[in-house]
Amino acid sequence: MKRSLRAVLLALCGLGLLHISLFSDLCLRYVKESMRPLLIASGVVLVLLGVAGALLDRPGGGEPAGRDHDSHDQDSHDHDSHGHDHSGLPRVAWLLLLPALSLLFYAPPALGAYTASRQPAKPVAERQAFDPLPAGSPVPMTLSDFTGRVQQDPARDIKGRTILMTGIVTPHGGGSWDLTRIIINCCAADAQSVKVRIYGGDVPPAGAWVSVTGIWHPGGRLGTRSAPVALDALTVKKVPRPLNGYQDALPLPSAVTR
Amino acid sequence: MKSVGGVGLTEAGTGTESEADGGRQGAALPPYWPLLLVAAAVVPGVLLFVVGRWGDAPAVQAWRTVCLAVTVQATPFLLLGTALSGAINAFVPERVFQRVLPRRAALAVPVAGVAGVVLPGCECASVPVAGSLIGRGVPPAAAFAFLLSAPAINPVVLTATAIAFPGQPAMVLARLLASLVTAVVMGWLWLRFGKAEWLRPVVREQHGGHRDGRSRWDEFRRGFQHDFLHAGGFLVLGAMAAATFNVAVPRSVLDTFAGSPWLSVLFLAGLAVLLAVCSEADAFLAASLTAFPAVARLVFMVVGPMVDLKLIALQAGTFGRAFAVRFSAATVVVAVACSALVGGVLL
Repeated sequence: MKRSLRAVLLALCGLGLLHISLFSDLCLRYVKESMRPLLIASGVVLVLLGVAGALLDRPGGGEPAGRDHDSHDQDSHDHDSHGHDHSGLPRVAWLLLLPALSLLFYAPPALGAYTASRQPAKPVAERQAFDPLPAGSPVPMTLSDFTGRVQQDPARDIKGRTILMTGIVTPHGGGSWDLTRIIINCCAADAQSVKVRIYGGDVPPAGAWVSVTGIWHPGGRLGTRSAPVALDALTVKKVPRPLNGYQDALPLPSAVTR
Repeated sequence: MKSVGGVGLTEAGTGTESEADGGRQGAALPPYWPLLLVAAAVVPGVLLFVVGRWGDAPAVQAWRTVCLAVTVQATPFLLLGTALSGAINAFVPERVFQRVLPRRAALAVPVAGVAGVVLPGCECASVPVAGSLIGRGVPPAAAFAFLLSAPAINPVVLTATAIAFPGQPAMVLARLLASLVTAVVMGWLWLRFGKAEWLRPVVREQHGGHRDGRSRWDEFRRGFQHDFLHAGGFLVLGAMAAATFNVAVPRSVLDTFAGSPWLSVLFLAGLAVLLAVCSEADAFLAASLTAFPAVARLVFMVVGPMVDLKLIALQAGTFGRAFAVRFSAATVVVAVACSALVGGVLL
């Protein structure tokens, strides 16, 4: 009984991993894209391990029946020489059932407004030189680039230009909200947020993905730390969550054409 | 009054009669079976509804996401580690380690610490490998030095650190040195003060190794799957604890501790333990904590790969609870002291 349970548990873990990495893009809610090959490989290994266990660990298949390794049976010569039996199912292993079933049937969504609202904005890298902004309007831009240009660009190229950015709506109270992007380096546990305050218009529902066009919200001295990282919104449009939602990427081309 | 009492009596009477009836029919139905039937129909639905409502609250969703993320992210590395430990048990003869490591344990400790360079990946892989090394006759002190140094000084992690701190090679060097010194000091401390009875009997007895009459591949497979299931369960436990703190402690309280150098060092050491960020990613998080002094950020990167909630759970599973508590506490102290010294000189 324990042998088949163990095989099922291993196979479920493997199927859960394959389900999120090979058969769908769910794994992008939790880890970076670069982890996907590793997850697929792990899923295959676990399924194979489960199948091998089910086929090879037959009762009477050359190996005495399975025992929990904590029980010290005196009557077994096998146990005496080994002192540690590997054919049992440790009780703590049942905890693996939770993530396995959750991955298969009840996968939680990607991190969103709740996490972003509880984090300070991630500081952007110091930059010495900024390329001139491309011609055309609106100019698609990442949130980090916008932050850097507002607070560090001595040329103040951003002044008066219409900018297009995509991100998550994080309500802030007081009629304004933050356009945010959550960035992960390894998995969702190390998430950090970049934020741009948005003024004007109604507050969209929390957690929605939107494309915003607008002009820098004046204040302080542009090009220094005193300038607010904020935008006066002209248009706010709902968009689907991009696949690379955990990067501070440029808005999707479909959003740019509008 | 009387009539009411009478009604009550008759009802009680019928009740016992029908019970007796049920008994005669061989207890086919429990006495209140319609009630049970209704309960069976209603309770799972209500439970599902409550779990659904509660499970979709933003905080709970974030908790589940972080918990799954830690588990999913660590699983490939845990598989690598348990496969390696299974292979060491089944295929590597004991004399190999006796030949490679110096005879004296005090010398074996630094050698094992430096050998941590070869295990690419993060901390989850190193726990089962260290367990199997002890099983193969490697002195525990040397195995623990390897356990601590491997996740912190391998090329993958050092490269990530260099990317996270561009133009600050001193940070990479400081991390390498502080981690290595901590690992070696902990190994020597174990030689001096460690007691074998803190370890689980299974680890102490040097269980591993190939035995005649059994295929090595079969032994490998059995060890592999057992170790993975065992360590995986503890990984889930650790991930749950880490997710709880990750969600419960808002990142915005951090900056209140950034002002004082000593408080900030202790605070970031505690944060590294609670957040349980993978050692490949912690450098990026440390780089973003710009309000903190460089030494405090170094402490964050040295303590994180050696002690955190999911590692404590993994160690408790592999080596035993008595070991994990003492070892982790001592490691935090040594790691903070070493990185404060190294950081004070280099940064």
